[in-house]
Amino acid sequence: MKENAASRVVFILLLFLSVSLLNGQSPPEKPKLVKCRSPGKETFTCWWEPGADGGLPTNYTLTYHKEGETLIHECPDYKTGGPNSCYFSKKHTSIWKMYVITVNAINQMGISSSDPLYVHVTYIVEPEPPANLTLELKHPEDRKPYLWIKWSPPTMTDVKSGWFIIQYEIRLKPEKATDWETHFTLKQTQLKIFNLYPGQKYLVQIRCKPDHGYWSEWSPESSIQIPNDFPVKDTSMWIFVAILSAVICLIMVWAVALKGYSMVTCILPPVPGPKIKGFDVHLLEKGKSEELLRALESQDFPPTSDCEDLLMEFIEVDDCEDQQLMPRPSKEHTEQGVKPMHLDLDSDSGRGSCDSPSLLSEKCDEPQAHPSKFHTPEGPEKLENPETNLTCLQAPQSTSVEGKIPYFLANGPKSSTWPFPQPPSLYSPRYSYHNIADVCELALGMAGTTATSLDQTDQHALKASKTIETGREGKATKQRESEGCSSKPDQDTVWPRPQDKTPLISAKPLEYVEIHKVSQDGVLALFPKQNEKFGAPEASKEYSKVSRVTDSNILVLVPDPQAQNLTLLEEPAKKAPPALP
Amino acid sequence: MKGSLESGSRLLLLLVVSNLLLCQGVVSTPVCPNGPGNCQVSLRDLFDRAVMVSHYIHDLSSEMFNEFDKRYAQGKGFITMALNSCHTSSLPTPEDKEQAQQTHHEVLMSLILGLLRSWNDPLYHLVTEVRGMKGAPDAILSRAIEIEEENKRLLEGMEMIFGQVIPGAKETEPYPVWSGLPSLQTKDEDARYSAFYNLLHCLRRDSSKIDTYLKLLNCRIIYNNNC
Repeated sequence: MKENAASRVVFILLLFLSVSLLNGQSPPEKPKLVKCRSPGKETFTCWWEPGADGGLPTNYTLTYHKEGETLIHECPDYKTGGPNSCYFSKKHTSIWKMYVITVNAINQMGISSSDPLYVHVTYIVEPEPPANLTLELKHPEDRKPYLWIKWSPPTMTDVKSGWFIIQYEIRLKPEKATDWETHFTLKQTQLKIFNLYPGQKYLVQIRCKPDHGYWSEWSPESSIQIPNDFPVKDTSMWIFVAILSAVICLIMVWAVALKGYSMVTCILPPVPGPKIKGFDVHLLEKGKSEELLRALESQDFPPTSDCEDLLMEFIEVDDCEDQQLMPRPSKEHTEQGVKPMHLDLDSDSGRGSCDSPSLLSEKCDEPQAHPSKFHTPEGPEKLENPETNLTCLQAPQSTSVEGKIPYFLANGPKSSTWPFPQPPSLYSPRYSYHNIADVCELALGMAGTTATSLDQTDQHALKASKTIETGREGKATKQRESEGCSSKPDQDTVWPRPQDKTPLISAKPLEYVEIHKVSQDGVLALFPKQNEKFGAPEASKEYSKVSRVTDSNILVLVPDPQAQNLTLLEEPAKKAPPALP
Repeated sequence: MKGSLESGSRLLLLLVVSNLLLCQGVVSTPVCPNGPGNCQVSLRDLFDRAVMVSHYIHDLSSEMFNEFDKRYAQGKGFITMALNSCHTSSLPTPEDKEQAQQTHHEVLMSLILGLLRSWNDPLYHLVTEVRGMKGAPDAILSRAIEIEEENKRLLEGMEMIFGQVIPGAKETEPYPVWSGLPSLQTKDEDARYSAFYNLLHCLRRDSSKIDTYLKLLNCRIIYNNNC
């Protein structure tokens, strides 16, 4: 019995199926939700795509439920959004809640449901295009003409309260062009376009985008015709600019032409040449030595305060570990002129001992890289020691002198005892000499000219000025120097003639000149004093003191009662000039 | 003589103070580099800065979510489990424009602060765990690190705004605590990825809330509802 009923049911079902198949009817196909969009983040609409309806009239329903709710709702509005849509009004829209939406297709045969769509309103924002796009050509009087584009925000967006943040994109192009010119604005609802081509028809479009969301569609094209007489460029300004620049160029050319040289010198100042105060090169060229020397003399010569200033900026000897004591100058030399020098050496602030020649020579090592900055008063190789007033000169390598010959100049602070017959500019530490010969010559020359004022102190000072550093180098250089000196015919007049044994090993800055002999033509042959240590060849040791200097450059020596060979010496003036370079 | 000097100096002081009071909010100065309390910054500038940062955080969150979705969540149906999974859902935040416009700015600001504070901890752990994730793309990790930093910055700025708009208000409101760390560290890969997905989804949503509320407050307070 039961079996019969079951088989009957099956039979009927199959019958129906076959009938419907023959008719072409079937349950509807699954519909598909296409997209959901919110134009203003306040409402949203969903659209779906129906599937095949299976030959029967099919109804579509949309059902949804919100996140956190179990109740299932049906779509409140199927009409507003158009066919196959569902519109959710403000009342039904929650911004930060997930919607699970399903569309169901129902027909006589059955129901088909779409896959659920998970919708979050914040992420589906796509506004409408901006509205009321207007174009206007403006010709302000004193400014360039332009195209004024205006629009208003799209519908359904609340920009004023800040709920909907929007940005715009405008594009325009001449009708026949291919590329668009695009502009962006944030909140403004207007734009001014300059630089338009006259006689063209321009097309303008605009679209917008929320802060987080999709771009809207482009608005319909708006067009405007630019008239042919549209003034594009403001040429008067360019004409003015051109004239102004031409005038400026002319002025500059004229200025350069007139004061070319002075301008050039202003920009690139020439290196100043050497200048010895009172030294007139022209006189020298003429060979008028007397006039030259007189000119030198007259130039406030000997220098007084200036000299001091020049001489004051000297070696700065920093910490010296090994305090090589300067051999105390022997107290027996109590001449007036000598004392200040001694005192100078001793009376500095405890650094006198540092200024031993050997140490100073070490310091002189450093600026060796700057040879022959002869002429500039600011020589880089000067070492400062304002207290001791000791300066350090350097002989550059041009003479292939390997060592250096620092000249230690002990300068008295008082102008009354100026230790140098020469103007300090020559022997200032800033100068380095090109060769020893020059030095000798100059020294000689100066010594010659000022032989009148040469007294014992000067002699000592001269010697001091010629102090050569102790040590191996010193010895060699001194020898070379002496050789150089002695190569000159006149140089044995004043300069000492050092023998093989250089007497200055012991770093004593002062030396005394001994008159060795007086030749027949009145030439003084001097000896350094220290010969006695090394066994002077001559037994006689003679000291002479200059008593006065006469007008015609004559040394008047005081005869020493102890000495035997002292006579009044005359140094012919004409001996001096040849010594001059 | 002395009296006139005193009165002169008082007058000068008065002038200076009145100038300062009048000029406040007109001249914009850069945000204090040394933290709050060291210099006066105008409210407009604070809001500008806050809006920029919140906008940036929401952009980063969206990108990070999309990257993760593309790489790890395709066809997995994680979204079904992401419903109701945010730890901040207990906060009574307005759900649409009308509700938000009716909420007082004090309440809105404390809600923003609560949201920001409650995300400090999860962001820190997010960075750590993403680092340890097998084959974690740099796009996700770098954004996570950036978001963590920006969140702190925004919190600072919001506290300053709060102090200026509502001076003297106590801000010790409790904030929701995140307890999803175990699920981020679970051995089951699917469960772990699902936990990540939830976290990123909630982060994206909350950053959107903060951004919207701030922009609303900005227009309301600074521009007087006339943006």
